[in-house]
Amino acid sequence: MPGILIFSENNAIALELVTAGLGLKATMNHSLCAVALSEPDAAALAAAGADKVFLLNGQDWPEGCAQPIAELAARELAAVILIGGTARGKDIAAKVACGLDAGLVTEAQTIEIAEDKLQTTRLKYGGLAVACEATGLPAVVTIAPRTFDKAVAGDGQGQVIALDAAAGDPRVKVSDLCPIERHGVDIASAARVVCVGRGLAKQEDLALAEDLAKALSAEIGCTRGIAEDYHWLPVERYIGISGQNIKSELYLSLGVSGQVQHVAGIRDAKVIVAVDTNEKAPIFAAADYGIVGDLYEVAPLITAALKK
Amino acid sequence: MSKILVCYKWVLDEQDIRVNAADASLDSSRAKYKISDYDKNAIEEAVLLQEGQGATVDAVTFGGDAVKQSLKDLLSRGPDKVFYIADPSADKADGYVTAGVIAAAARKTGPYDLIICGEGSADSYNQQVAPRLAANLGLPSITYVQSLKLEGGRVVATRKLGDCTEVVTVEGPAVVSVVPEINKPRIPSLKQVLAAAKKPAEEIKIADLGLSPKQLTAKTVSLTVKGFVMNRKNILFKEPAQADNVAKLVAALAKEGVC
Ligand SMILES: Cc1cc2nc3c(=O)[nH]c(=O)nc-3n(C[C@H](O)[C@H](O)[C@H](O)COP(=O)(O)OP(=O)(O)OC[C@H]3O[C@@H](n4cnc5c(N)ncnc54)[C@H](O)[C@@H]3O)c2cc1C
Ligand SMILES: Nc1ncnc2c1ncn2[C@@H]1O[C@H](COP(=O)(O)O)[C@@H](O)[C@H]1O
Repeated sequence: MPGILIFSENNAIALELVTAGLGLKATMNHSLCAVALSEPDAAALAAAGADKVFLLNGQDWPEGCAQPIAELAARELAAVILIGGTARGKDIAAKVACGLDAGLVTEAQTIEIAEDKLQTTRLKYGGLAVACEATGLPAVVTIAPRTFDKAVAGDGQGQVIALDAAAGDPRVKVSDLCPIERHGVDIASAARVVCVGRGLAKQEDLALAEDLAKALSAEIGCTRGIAEDYHWLPVERYIGISGQNIKSELYLSLGVSGQVQHVAGIRDAKVIVAVDTNEKAPIFAAADYGIVGDLYEVAPLITAALKK
Repeated sequence: MSKILVCYKWVLDEQDIRVNAADASLDSSRAKYKISDYDKNAIEEAVLLQEGQGATVDAVTFGGDAVKQSLKDLLSRGPDKVFYIADPSADKADGYVTAGVIAAAARKTGPYDLIICGEGSADSYNQQVAPRLAANLGLPSITYVQSLKLEGGRVVATRKLGDCTEVVTVEGPAVVSVVPEINKPRIPSLKQVLAAAKKPAEEIKIADLGLSPKQLTAKTVSLTVKGFVMNRKNILFKEPAQADNVAKLVAALAKEGVC
């Protein structure tokens, strides 16, 4: 029976995929299968509604799961394979798609079956546009974290089936796994955000943005360059198509030009404010309120005005 | 000496694409092309290896007729030679077709010790061509690489994966995709621009790649593309004194209930 197969090496994301998969199951009338890497994960997926969970043993590098997942998908005649859109997940998805000779849609925002094809929407041109696309079955799709709500544990009676993974590629050796420290803030759910861009001249000047953030009870966010090139702030604080999406009631930017890849992450903010020296900066077209000026002059003035 | 292939895409500059507010259609009539942003990092990394330890660097691109405009820009960034596949079918190509075409070209012009791609293309950001290319060529892939070394016949790369980093060592050739923080692409010097004119650019006809019609047919077909229309107030405070602008801003924010 052709079905739906889901996988993420991160089980919180796998539970989000269960929600997406159950949505498809309602229209496709096919079973929902999942692949898990540990017993507790497998049990959680079964409880949340997966009909069958394959417990893949003996692979300590998630990327090594691509081949067994492709083989399993072929054997189970999976029509839609949903994979969590982490960096590892996107790598795995491409290899699964190759193994199945299938199409792959990256970071789909919506998925449905229409006319025996998978119909998806996703961003294009750095977030400037939304493309609606159709992919023949079988189709592989990656879904970004937090696109769907997590499925809650119910009284799912899904079967758990142990599966031995193939041996890894002897040419590849993985070492020095090193976690990147998290700093605890979740910018995606912050109520207010002060965002700094490359208009900031040096790292010490972050203090200026921090003072303003304090006066607004806001969290500090940034553009990709501040996090990835300058390393002034942790990567989980950068906003945009390849970073976080924010839904805050207020977003206030200091020295952010507002390229579309960044703006794609602030569209859901309720009020957008921009401070930038360049009147032609695209951020002003995306903003509700703007001040054309030097952030070193304007930011302290806003802080002072708020304190009054 | 090592032989490196770098893959780059010639894309429309999204900054020049306008969204028609009336029907959300895209107007790219005034858009210029550019080398996809992160492919500049891929090119730079290949050239750093070329300079650091001696390697020959080939580049390859697949696109519509417009790709011919990219050759000089590309060669001025340091590669020794560029292969291009210019075919109108590129407009409809998805990751499946693109990776198939590049793999076939690489089989013709290779073998390579290392193939370097960008993290994702600026227009479609599929992040799939590199791992697909690897699978097509039967090579291991190392995606999201933030530092890269070639040690003899071995590729050693540090990957950046959101919540961790890890080192992947591959014995023999590999396909890698690099993240933008791996390096800072140089602006070509006048000397490099002049030298580019003398470097070879070779066309490969898509018909000579031995691909079947099925391999040239996209699995994913675009149905509609709609631009985002931002409906915002666009109020600029333009008093001569910034203190006055700030006072107006704070008053507006208070009215919105957000401060
Ligand atoms: C595929 C792809 C994905 C990307 N994803 C993201 C993403 O997710 N998030 C992201 O942020 N970017 C992303 N980018 C990068 C994006 O295109 C822009 O390059 C980036 O957002 C620009 O950051 P910035 O505004 O900090 O810097 P800049 O564009 O350099 O802008 C700096 C601004 O500061 C202003 N300025 C300078 N001095 C002052 C001063 N004293 N006072 C006030 N203003 C001043 C300047 O006028 C300018 O407008 C992506 C790019 C690509 C190609
Ligand atoms: N048409 C193309 N020609 C050459 N290289 C490409 C092409 N499309 C994608 N690539 C390479 O594959 C990478 C990832 O592209 P994508 O999967 O489209 O995000 C790019 O950064 C390029 O290095």
